[in-house]
Amino acid sequence: MNERLIPWQPTAIAGPKQPLLVTPETAKHMIKKSKRPLFVVGPYAKNEPLLDFVSKIAEKWNLPIVTTADTYKTFSDVEIDSTPYGIVEIVNLLKDPQWQGVNGEGQHDLVIFVGVIYYIASQGLSTLKHFAPHLKTLTICKYFHFNADASFPNMNDKEWHNYLDKL
Amino acid sequence: MTPNSIRPKDLEDNFWKNRGIDINIGDIVENTSSPTDNEKIEMGPTPKPSVTDLRSWDMKLLKRYPPFYAPFCDMCCLCTFGKCDLTGKKGACGIDIEAQQGRFALLTCCIGAAAHSAHSRHLLEYLIHKVGPDFPIDFGNNIDIEAPIIRTVIGKIPKTLGDLREAMSYMEEENLHLLSACHTGQEGNHLDFESKALHAGLMDHVGMEIGDVSQINALNLPKGDADVPLAELGIGVVDREKPVVLCIGHNVAPGAGIIDYVEDNELEDQIEICGICCTSIDMTRYSNRAKVIGPISKQLKFLRSGVADVVVVDEQCIRSDVLEEANKTGAALIATTDKMCLGLEDRTDDTVDNIMGDILSDRIKGALVLDPEKVGELAVKLSQEISTKRQKHKILPTDRELQEEASKCTNCGWCVRVCPNNLPIMDAVSSAGEGDFQKAEELYDHDTCYTCGRCEGECPENIKIMSLMAKVGQNNLDKQKFKIRVGRGPIQDVEVRRVGAPIVLGDIPGVIAFVGCTNYPNGSDEVAKMAEEFLERNYIVVTSGCGAMSIGEYKDKDGKSLYEKYSGDFDARGLVNLGSCVSNSHIPGVAIKIANIFAKKQLEGNFEVIADYILNRVGACGMAWGPYSQKAAAIASGVNRWGIPVVLGPHGSKYRRLYLGATEDKERWKLNDMRTGKVIDGEPAPEHLLYAAENREEATVALAKLCIRPTDTNKGRQIKLSHYIDMRKKYFGEIPQDIYKFIRTEKDIPITYKKEVLEILENNKWEPREIPMEPSILDFPKNKVGD
Repeated sequence: MNERLIPWQPTAIAGPKQPLLVTPETAKHMIKKSKRPLFVVGPYAKNEPLLDFVSKIAEKWNLPIVTTADTYKTFSDVEIDSTPYGIVEIVNLLKDPQWQGVNGEGQHDLVIFVGVIYYIASQGLSTLKHFAPHLKTLTICKYFHFNADASFPNMNDKEWHNYLDKL
Repeated sequence: MTPNSIRPKDLEDNFWKNRGIDINIGDIVENTSSPTDNEKIEMGPTPKPSVTDLRSWDMKLLKRYPPFYAPFCDMCCLCTFGKCDLTGKKGACGIDIEAQQGRFALLTCCIGAAAHSAHSRHLLEYLIHKVGPDFPIDFGNNIDIEAPIIRTVIGKIPKTLGDLREAMSYMEEENLHLLSACHTGQEGNHLDFESKALHAGLMDHVGMEIGDVSQINALNLPKGDADVPLAELGIGVVDREKPVVLCIGHNVAPGAGIIDYVEDNELEDQIEICGICCTSIDMTRYSNRAKVIGPISKQLKFLRSGVADVVVVDEQCIRSDVLEEANKTGAALIATTDKMCLGLEDRTDDTVDNIMGDILSDRIKGALVLDPEKVGELAVKLSQEISTKRQKHKILPTDRELQEEASKCTNCGWCVRVCPNNLPIMDAVSSAGEGDFQKAEELYDHDTCYTCGRCEGECPENIKIMSLMAKVGQNNLDKQKFKIRVGRGPIQDVEVRRVGAPIVLGDIPGVIAFVGCTNYPNGSDEVAKMAEEFLERNYIVVTSGCGAMSIGEYKDKDGKSLYEKYSGDFDARGLVNLGSCVSNSHIPGVAIKIANIFAKKQLEGNFEVIADYILNRVGACGMAWGPYSQKAAAIASGVNRWGIPVVLGPHGSKYRRLYLGATEDKERWKLNDMRTGKVIDGEPAPEHLLYAAENREEATVALAKLCIRPTDTNKGRQIKLSHYIDMRKKYFGEIPQDIYKFIRTEKDIPITYKKEVLEILENNKWEPREIPMEPSILDFPKNKVGD
């Protein structure tokens, strides 16, 4: 089996449904096609170089950012706008089709995850897989996420940074 | 009561107008503990509630706090129709993914409740056998409400050990009904699964209370004394020159048997008796001779160190491969309960000499001995024999040998991928291969690596990574010496009288309970740091089990443990170690006592009124930062049903279910003011009932927020909001944007933050709200409507 396509934590395999393995090109296509995307960013993005990547990607695609855990503080310090939520709180809101999104413009149709602790992200993605048919999930971590609709493969840092550069 | 019984509450509307029916108002119980011995207590509506008797309460909770599901697996594998994939479709039995998650929550809670309760049943019968069924339950002059959970749920006051059998039998029957609902083709609705899971949680607390009340009384453990002594804690406190007996698990009976034998034979200075996990906490409650190695995170590293000559296992949270690990070091193993027989021959009826002979001659690998007294004699004699023959100081490889083995590392990285926390194990092993053990030490410190051993099982080079961790610990024994306050058991009534009002009014900003296991995301010192922060802020901090041990393993900048720094009083800035797992029952126990002592609420058969009081008035919150077991899930569900919210660490998301408040829907937060008969706008307080935080910073702020209650006075609310804002600013760098939800009138605004808060109020078009006199989520009594 291709090690890039086994969940980063191998036992996170959930069932027969597999995510789409995406390249930066496919990911860009998904973002481009989305009407109301949302960028959910976890505490791993408090450090460089991910912080810089997140900033550039959000700016390029005009993505509203939700920061989880205490990531908000770092982002605020470097003047990146974000809305803070607990990861379970934002997932809870995303599964509600009536929620109007972080900007009050309607529920999001694509949620891009990066930097959230792997196993709690995996649980949140599972919630959205089962209970949020109105949106798609895309993960751009260096870890393959089995519960996402679309995910980057497992990669080393160099390859991952190359992927993020292309987004 | 049977499910079809008519209860007084069913008749409250037209009670006196009903004719032609038989009315059973329940037992009239004689309250012999009150000053007037002949005073009668009228039973409340739900003594011994069946699975469905408290369903209406559960549905009220679940409306406010709907289950949030995060399936761990897409499939159901429980019957031979399956496996069934439940992704967007139903299984062959008709169940959908939502109901399946509720079913799993129920199953988890049933397992947890069964573990505590079977432990308690064993302990109860053993102690009755030892001291008799008429042995009195007496906590002394400072505690009149000896068993608040049993009083409320069963509706009776247990006076003797024998009296506890009634509560035990009741909850065993309930557990049976609950487990049966998990069978294929039974319950099909997720909310009803949740109601049953909450019932299982309640049964768990009944079981735990039976266990601790039994052992406190029959074994004369501390009865709520705040000034209990400190006990030694840590891998470094064991005298390795002596024969060492190690107990692992939760049931104190065999440990007490060992201590008795040592004392009866005046061997106190010749034998080291130590323990891992809750059994060690209870051993220190029984005798100051016992030492605590630490929580379950110490298990594999201590076993591998080979220090123990005899390993005695009882029940719960013990590694399934404990026999294999003990045998690797030449230690003998004695299994002592029916829960964990490990394939060993039952030698209960054999003589100690015969069993010893067979173990010492390697004819058997260990023995199952179900008599705690015999275990005492066998363990001590075996340790004396074995310690002279084993070269235990040479069991672990030398640093050079470890370096040589670690140098085989190919940097494949699988150790990191299978680690529950993806710790940098590969780096530590690679560095060790070059003779640098620093990175391994960093993983060892604070149990950042809790030695589950998955990395070692995965390593294609068979590098003994756990032995590396054990060796690192052995090389730094001086760093592994700590103190823990002995578990005191329940909170005294006199303390409740002192702090009941400040807690309910908000002057004491909250009670935080650090409980649970050691599945920490980032080491044990995070628990202690959280406890320290709340202690410094005048909260009451209580703890138990592994959490209590983790707190003890932390030293402040002056080298003092928090137990040395803070008193054991149940008061502001008090750090109260309740005891072991079963002592967790004292957490809802003290909340119940506040309702009874401070607010004069009748307990017997009155669950809903008491839980409603706690939910709306008692600013308590649980924290299980490293939850791993089914027991932890049951404990959390139990306190949730009592109205106490719980914050979990990130691994808690794997329980598949949280209870998150529907904060966007104001209708769900309306309160019935029982004093005025009015329905008034409420607030999301407490905001969630079961929440998982991603890191310590988020958890700390969540704990402060979850202590807010509708009955806080203006002053109390200011104090609580000051802490909430302080911590939010500290960890998030901002004033919380939801602060307007918790301001009822301008008098609630903390003076220090007035300008900033007023700005937020204006932005959110805030308007003042009425403060409820007697807030409740229960329905108004029908004869009060329109009053």
